[in-house]
Amino acid sequence: MTSAITNQIIDEDDDGFDWEAAVREIDVACQTAKPCTPRPDQFSHFAPTISNFHYSKNKKRAVPSRQSTLDKFVAKAGPPRPRSEEPDQDRAQGDEGVGYIDIDADAAKTWIYPVNVPLRDYQFAITKKALFSNTLVALPTGLGKTLIAAVVMYNYFRWFPDGKIVFAAPSRPLVMQQIEACHNIVGIPQEWTIDMTGQISPAKRACFWKTKRVFFVTPQVLEKDIQSGTCLVKYLVCLVIDEAHRALGNYSYCVAVRELMAVPVQLRMLALTATPGSKQQTIQHIIDNLNISTLEYRTESDDDVSPYVHNRKIELIQVAMGQDAVEINNKLSEVIRPIVARLCAVGVLQNRDYQTLSPCELLNFRDKFRQAPPPDLAHIKYNEVEGYFGVLITLYHIRKLLSSHGIRPSYEMLEEKLQQGFFARFMSKNEDIWKAKLLMQQSLSHGAPSPKLSKMLEVLLDHFKTKDPQNSRVIIFSNFRGSVRDIMEALGNIGDLVRATQFIGQSTGKALKGQSQKVQQDVLEKFRAGGYNVIVATSIGEEGLDIMEVDLVICFDANVSPLRMIQRMGRTGRKHDGRVVVLACEGSELKGYMRKQASSKAVRKHMRNGGMNSFNFHSSPRMIPHIYKPEVQFVSLSIAQFVPRGKKVKDNHVIQTSVFEDKLTVAETSLLAKYFHRTDENTWKPSLIAFPHFQTFPSRVHKVMHGFRTGMLIDTMQHLQGLSFSADNKTTDVEDEVLLGKSLVVNVAKQHSTGTEGLLVHNDSLCIKSHREVLGTEVSPREVLRTEEKHSMLDFCGQNPSAHSYLFGSDYVSVDSFGKVLILDVPLLPLKEGPHSKYTTASSTASLNSSKQDFCHLQTSADDKKELTMQATCVGEITPVNRCIKDETLPTSGLFGSDVKQETTLDGVENIPERPSLNGIFFSEGDSDGGTPDVEIINEPLLLADECRDTFRDIELSPRLTNLIKCGVVPESPIHDKGSPNDEKKNEFLVSDLVSPVQLDTELGVKSSSSGKDERVIMDVIDNGRNGFVSPVNDEIQTPVFKLNNSVSIRGCTSTSPVVEEAQTPFVNLTNNSSNKDWHLSSGDKSETVEQRSKLKRLRKIGDYGKAEI
Amino acid sequence: MEDANTFDPDLVHAIFKLVWNRRALERERNEGADGLDIQVGAGASKKNRPTYANANALKLSCELLRIFVTEAVQRAATIAEAEGVSKIEATHLERILPQLLLDF
Repeated sequence: MTSAITNQIIDEDDDGFDWEAAVREIDVACQTAKPCTPRPDQFSHFAPTISNFHYSKNKKRAVPSRQSTLDKFVAKAGPPRPRSEEPDQDRAQGDEGVGYIDIDADAAKTWIYPVNVPLRDYQFAITKKALFSNTLVALPTGLGKTLIAAVVMYNYFRWFPDGKIVFAAPSRPLVMQQIEACHNIVGIPQEWTIDMTGQISPAKRACFWKTKRVFFVTPQVLEKDIQSGTCLVKYLVCLVIDEAHRALGNYSYCVAVRELMAVPVQLRMLALTATPGSKQQTIQHIIDNLNISTLEYRTESDDDVSPYVHNRKIELIQVAMGQDAVEINNKLSEVIRPIVARLCAVGVLQNRDYQTLSPCELLNFRDKFRQAPPPDLAHIKYNEVEGYFGVLITLYHIRKLLSSHGIRPSYEMLEEKLQQGFFARFMSKNEDIWKAKLLMQQSLSHGAPSPKLSKMLEVLLDHFKTKDPQNSRVIIFSNFRGSVRDIMEALGNIGDLVRATQFIGQSTGKALKGQSQKVQQDVLEKFRAGGYNVIVATSIGEEGLDIMEVDLVICFDANVSPLRMIQRMGRTGRKHDGRVVVLACEGSELKGYMRKQASSKAVRKHMRNGGMNSFNFHSSPRMIPHIYKPEVQFVSLSIAQFVPRGKKVKDNHVIQTSVFEDKLTVAETSLLAKYFHRTDENTWKPSLIAFPHFQTFPSRVHKVMHGFRTGMLIDTMQHLQGLSFSADNKTTDVEDEVLLGKSLVVNVAKQHSTGTEGLLVHNDSLCIKSHREVLGTEVSPREVLRTEEKHSMLDFCGQNPSAHSYLFGSDYVSVDSFGKVLILDVPLLPLKEGPHSKYTTASSTASLNSSKQDFCHLQTSADDKKELTMQATCVGEITPVNRCIKDETLPTSGLFGSDVKQETTLDGVENIPERPSLNGIFFSEGDSDGGTPDVEIINEPLLLADECRDTFRDIELSPRLTNLIKCGVVPESPIHDKGSPNDEKKNEFLVSDLVSPVQLDTELGVKSSSSGKDERVIMDVIDNGRNGFVSPVNDEIQTPVFKLNNSVSIRGCTSTSPVVEEAQTPFVNLTNNSSNKDWHLSSGDKSETVEQRSKLKRLRKIGDYGKAEI
Repeated sequence: MEDANTFDPDLVHAIFKLVWNRRALERERNEGADGLDIQVGAGASKKNRPTYANANALKLSCELLRIFVTEAVQRAATIAEAEGVSKIEATHLERILPQLLLDF
């Protein structure tokens, strides 16, 4: 071994030290050079080793008080190694080992031992040692290993402000338990501690590794994180390993430590266990695996420990096997005997009493057979021998179960084994096994309890007789879940004195379901609280779980390893005296128990005196440079209440965030206000109905193609707008576009001239000339302009329908009947004819012949009727248009022109048809509305008739309107936020009021309500007017138009002019106001509303005429 | 897709949450109004649970919103360009809005 080599070298090199110390030194030196367990390849490191050594020696001279420092950390050095911790070594290590981790110089002057709990000498001594060397602490259960660990961790936490400390415990419940326990002992601030188990994702763990300093982890987590590199191994200063007896083979502890040593990392190792091992060999393995340099071993009988050990009485109760069991056992023996004999004959089994064999021994034999089969055995026989071994192992196992756990578990095992596999095939012909099985079945059907079980119940009842069942706690250990279940069943029958529950592992087998860790925690919680007073546990209850106040431990099976026995016994006698009852079945189980007790005693001998004579230890770094001589400082630590990580923390987090969200500082709100407007009033809501004409054709897309529903919308819009001007309008559009614009223009102009002539002549002699002049001016530019511009002109015409209507107003009244008659003649195009009729009426009033002729001409002319209507509208409108143009429309017309141009050709085409139709509508409106009030004022009898008609119209209009709205045929109407709803309401109002009187009363009967009607009619007029005025594209244009209107009316209407004025002024004002207020929307919107209105009007007209016909 | 260019999922999530919370409050208020005379069943608690979205749904929402906004801007831009304006105005958006909404 390396030690021998180093010894030689030292002999050559240095004689100043005794042998033992020299070994230490060299080991230490090697450690600093390459701190892994000595390997043959360390020869290459000799040079640095020796130089280190010299270096340290030189340093040593500089240190004056060697002994004092020695005393510092070797408080209780055993006799064989009095100078094992030479200061110079420590210095050397300190200089090198703490290279990358800063030491808090002030903190390093002292080490703190808490006196919150009464000081125990052995704890203090072990702690002192563990601070400066890698220590394996073997302390009986319940003597406060955790305190040692916590104090060591706390001091390393203080000394190394950047250092990371890891506490590893083999299971999650233990991790949780230890983090709380450590916190309650030394109170490391919780913001630095974290418990990490496999439940936390590696990414999160990586984050925690960076931010936290004290980690309570499971070994698996530690292993994985070291391997993945997320664990910052360079910063590790202390690693505490709980239940260190597990550090064997390839357990995560060993892997993790190996990885750390390979880095290499200088850190303090502290291993804790109650049961280091049952053999000297295993303990040595642990020491090797964990790089332990000191073994601190205490037993209950040690002087410094015994005062703190509660009396723990161990009783061994021998239980005779039951009669049934003995019989079954005999049967099984009969099965076993021939097989054993056969194996013996082959020579793979020692020739000895088959009764004394155990499954474990058989396994060993089988291994031996596999490694070195007897040479005289034929190869074909191997399988047979293997089979025999398998069967034998099963049988012995069943026998063991039978003796230690009773019939039922063994029966179940046999049953299972006989289901399938080699055992079933082999045994199917064996009579004895079936007999044995039958016996088992019989005994089970009798329900005879196993003697062990009855004995256990007896013990339990005795215990609860002497102790208060409320405060006393009992744990029953059994190795098998099957017997746990049996015990539970038995306990269920003995009344409410015993409140028992099972405590088993997580794995879920075929027969028995496991308990999740949540359930396990729950069980422990209730057990502590007193909800249960008996726990029936498998091996998971043996280790580490800190359950206080357990008075009695019953070991249902005795033949378990001494380690486990010690752990089991460790559950009791922690706070006060306890009692352990071991139930052992006479025979093999009892023998096994005795044997194992003996071997554990032998191990204890090895561990005496720090195990110096029995074990090879490894050197360890001191971690704290020698210049610091930490003095012990007894401090009463103030420890904050431990807050378990999890729900509470989460809740706090939630609260914090909500607080954060809720409250803004004044500065923040002002900042927000500065950059973000308050959205109460200024919110601009985009209108969906603003551009209906845009919706009649698909808009250009970027990446997302139009969907099916868009297609439907377009179709619908086209349909709706097509309704308003019918299919013929389109043809006119087409004509407008396709045909020569100029010819059209000429036609139009001609017609205009004629129409206007007719109209104007009758209206006003004064105005005519000017009109004509204007017309002329108008026409000429039109000729020059293209069709689009004409359309725009038409639009302008559309803007001023009211004015137009006034022109006709007075006359219209008188010729009302006429008009209708005329209209009825031409029902083909009712929509278009509406305007026609009016014009005809209007014209007829002035000069019936001329107008009629004109229209007849128009109709008869080759041009379409639509054109006629167009022209008619034009005719009607030209006068106002002219005026408008004179006053203000020129800029607007320019605007429109540009608009129209900019709009795509389609737009233009589709927009244009709308407007003429609008015009028509306005004419109708204007005619009716504008006319009626006038008439009212002038002639009451006439008025009545008109009124009635008007009201009729209104009535007819309104239900339709409402219907339409309801049906959703007119999608835009509800969206007219301010304008149309009012209209609707008013109309409805009219409807409600007027429907009945109008329908019931005839024209004469309306007299009584005439005054009211007047108002209503005026209202209606206002409505209509509104709609009409809406039609102009801009608000600004509106008012001038009205002025014009007024002027027109004054000028145009000869006889009725004053009255007209009176009648008009109010609503003009109103409309002005309303329009100004309401119609902020863009021009398109207005046109739309108008359009809708027009539809309705048209409908009304149709209906009206229909009625008139009827 | 273009992860870098899309909206921040956290932002979108925050917005969603805001809307959901508001809606939940409204619903609660409405239910509270008629809840007095209408017996509220055991399902009420489930109903009141705030809506939530998983990460992929959020990602998808971000992408959808991104496409929606780009499409809206592009379509409005074509209109604006047709008018010879270099600035997209509200009216331009209004023109394409109905069809845009139906397309999504």
